[in-house]
Amino acid sequence: MPDQRVVPDLDMATIGRRLRSSMTGSGIVWVTVVLFAFLSLTTGPFLTEANLRNILDQQATLLIAASLATVAMIAGGFDISVSAVYVAAPLVALRVENSTESVLLAVVAGVLAGLVVGTVNGLVVAILKVHSFIGTLATSFMVFGAGYLISDRSILRPVSDSFRDVARTRWFTLTTATWIAFGVVLLTWFLLSRTRFGRHVYATGGNPEAARLAGVRVTGITIAVFMLSGAAAGLAGTVSASRSISAMPSDDFSFLFGVISAIVVGGTSIAGGEGGVWRTVFGAFFIALMINGFNLHQVDPIWQRVIQGLVILVAVGIDAWSRRRPR
Amino acid sequence: MPTTALADHVLLDGVSKQFGSTRAVESVDLAIRRGECHALIGENGAGKSTLGKVVAGVHEPGTGTVAVAGEMVRFRSPRQALEHGITMVAQELSLVPTRSVLENVYLGIESSRGPLVDDVGHRRLFAELAERSRIRLEPDRRVGTLGIADQQKVEILRALARDAELIVMDEPTARLSADETTDLLAVIRDLVGSGTTVVFVSHFLDQVLEVADRITVLRDGRLIRTADAVDETPATLVEAMIGRSLAANFPRKVPPAADSPLILSATGLGRVGVFEEVDIAVRAGEIVALSGLVGSGRSEVVRGIYGADRLDAGAIRLEGEPATLRSPHDAIARGIGMIPESRRDQGLMARRSVRENASLPRLDLFTMGPVVADRRERVAVAEATTEVDLRCASLDMPVDSLSGGNQQKCLFARWMIDRPRLLIADEPTRGVDVGAKRAIYELLARLAAEGMGVLLVSSEIEEVLGLAHRILVMRGGRIVTELDGTVATEGEVLEAAFGTSTEDHSDA
Repeated sequence: MPDQRVVPDLDMATIGRRLRSSMTGSGIVWVTVVLFAFLSLTTGPFLTEANLRNILDQQATLLIAASLATVAMIAGGFDISVSAVYVAAPLVALRVENSTESVLLAVVAGVLAGLVVGTVNGLVVAILKVHSFIGTLATSFMVFGAGYLISDRSILRPVSDSFRDVARTRWFTLTTATWIAFGVVLLTWFLLSRTRFGRHVYATGGNPEAARLAGVRVTGITIAVFMLSGAAAGLAGTVSASRSISAMPSDDFSFLFGVISAIVVGGTSIAGGEGGVWRTVFGAFFIALMINGFNLHQVDPIWQRVIQGLVILVAVGIDAWSRRRPR
Repeated sequence: MPTTALADHVLLDGVSKQFGSTRAVESVDLAIRRGECHALIGENGAGKSTLGKVVAGVHEPGTGTVAVAGEMVRFRSPRQALEHGITMVAQELSLVPTRSVLENVYLGIESSRGPLVDDVGHRRLFAELAERSRIRLEPDRRVGTLGIADQQKVEILRALARDAELIVMDEPTARLSADETTDLLAVIRDLVGSGTTVVFVSHFLDQVLEVADRITVLRDGRLIRTADAVDETPATLVEAMIGRSLAANFPRKVPPAADSPLILSATGLGRVGVFEEVDIAVRAGEIVALSGLVGSGRSEVVRGIYGADRLDAGAIRLEGEPATLRSPHDAIARGIGMIPESRRDQGLMARRSVRENASLPRLDLFTMGPVVADRRERVAVAEATTEVDLRCASLDMPVDSLSGGNQQKCLFARWMIDRPRLLIADEPTRGVDVGAKRAIYELLARLAAEGMGVLLVSSEIEEVLGLAHRILVMRGGRIVTELDGTVATEGEVLEAAFGTSTEDHSDA
């Protein structure tokens, strides 16, 4: 039989594969770069040092939490509790600061509070085998509630002036919040791409049973990623409190939505086993640039939401599409 | 029974199907006549399942044409095939276990009265269907409470309720007991008797000979021949399937040295309700096969030894030392490796690279502190993949872009990096092509000859007979017989596995 008839069929498949891999490959980098160039050329106030510095500063807390939430996501864990930790951890931090007047202890306490919640999450998911989405939703409510208890339902403020320096000090024109985020991102990148722990995270998310049979301690990895994610959310909340020089209890889930948006728009798969922290960085900046552009062009905030929703849909759509194995 | 008078129902002309670089089916011309039971047989990887799926619209043919009742068709989905009266009862059943038999049969084709489902009408139709097909099932039973055999019947009823004229059955008896099999074969004969065409995909020769009108033999994706069942015997079929004598397929057995040390000595292994009183010893250089029917506890035993499943009883000694293996992690640290039963579900991270998949169990060899030493890892994986003859364009390719054979070799490559003392290979050649199969046989034989202990689990009797020095046959969670692999026959193994005197279960 004529073999050349195979060719068109194969070609379509090849084109499909290439398209898929470029979309899931570095697509987010290109669209972010294009958006940046577009805004630079069309929008006067965009490419100014103050504006860019602001964008970086505003993204800092999101990136701190999202980096390690990405690790949890890659390991197959969905950490809903980042919002609750982000709200409650700084309340712990400020309580400690109020009583000890030590900024260092305050930051440590904020991170530790997140670590404790993360540990509980990890145990709930890995030992009780509750689906992470539900398990961390449940702990979220508990942590939100704990926030009200810790703060006595009131706004907490630092007693020392130096608490604000945690996020607001300027080094080489950038804020310390930005530098902390930079450090966390770099650390996460190193963890994921260079260490055995990182490999085990990918393996656990890619196929937990196969990972276990290959000797990966899947339970340990799962607990560890939730601990890291919790600690990072605690740090993010504390940095945020330093920036606003206060913290108050709430049950506001909106921080989570920013985190998840950055992760999925970046192209990390919600199915686990794939992704990277650099993706989350681009995802976060793509969204931030988009919103910045909207604001500079005075687009109605209501439409901003609609468009942001569409962007997320497109991102997860591409992920789902690329997962569909060509027959 | 010859059925030459019947017209062609489905006609395949030059059909080929390729998955990645694997040619599953190549240039097949096949005529399926209306109202016949047409069997497709061949070894694993011969292409029989793929061909069945092309007929049922599950796979779109790469090249070639399909005609149904004289009309050219190009099925892109099972739904399109169903519009032409063709459907499939797959190996993995697609029923809704929480709903009733009746609901499952009419799922998606419910007739309604106004907004309500016409339950009365369904019941009447169901009774007619039961009458016609002679399949008796309680319409209100929850499907999840039925055994596999009855669930298959629900699938068949479902096909008939959709006016299917041709049903493709892919290994329908693979998970059935002997009685259930007899029962299903009778149902198939009834279907054919009432005018339905059945394509029966199987590798059980006795069943095929019993039920089919005509038999098509496939080998390496090519059609070897189609003949009337009455003109075939098990021997002629085997010859056609293998294309050479059985022995030539396997490497020569090198018996382990008489004084070679015990690698594994497991005694009294048990897991409540699964297996009990299992003793297994494997010496250096020895291939020990654990044989038995699916469900006899073979895989469960080796998973227990590997620490993947809990053991309730028994003791394991490795090279004479007592070992407590609580997890695969422990087992690997003590020099045990495993190729798991299902490479897709238990073996590989499909979207990760060949390199990451291969190095995963022994990543500790390439780490300095927590950091993976990239270059050392690459070198080691390159050597390991070369050793198992894994072919891929780059070690950074995702492992699911490889053929089944190469994927399986990737699992073997894992254990070439730092060889374990004992290798457990659970269905090591499942779903790989014939070439890769042979390579895996040679690899296993070589590893044993070099002093590794190999514990093999396989459903393929030829494989067990061809490779093992000793054969342990399991039945109902116990080891019932130990046979010398150099002299054992297929009959002996099957007899022990079925626990009967040899009925007509022999394949060859």
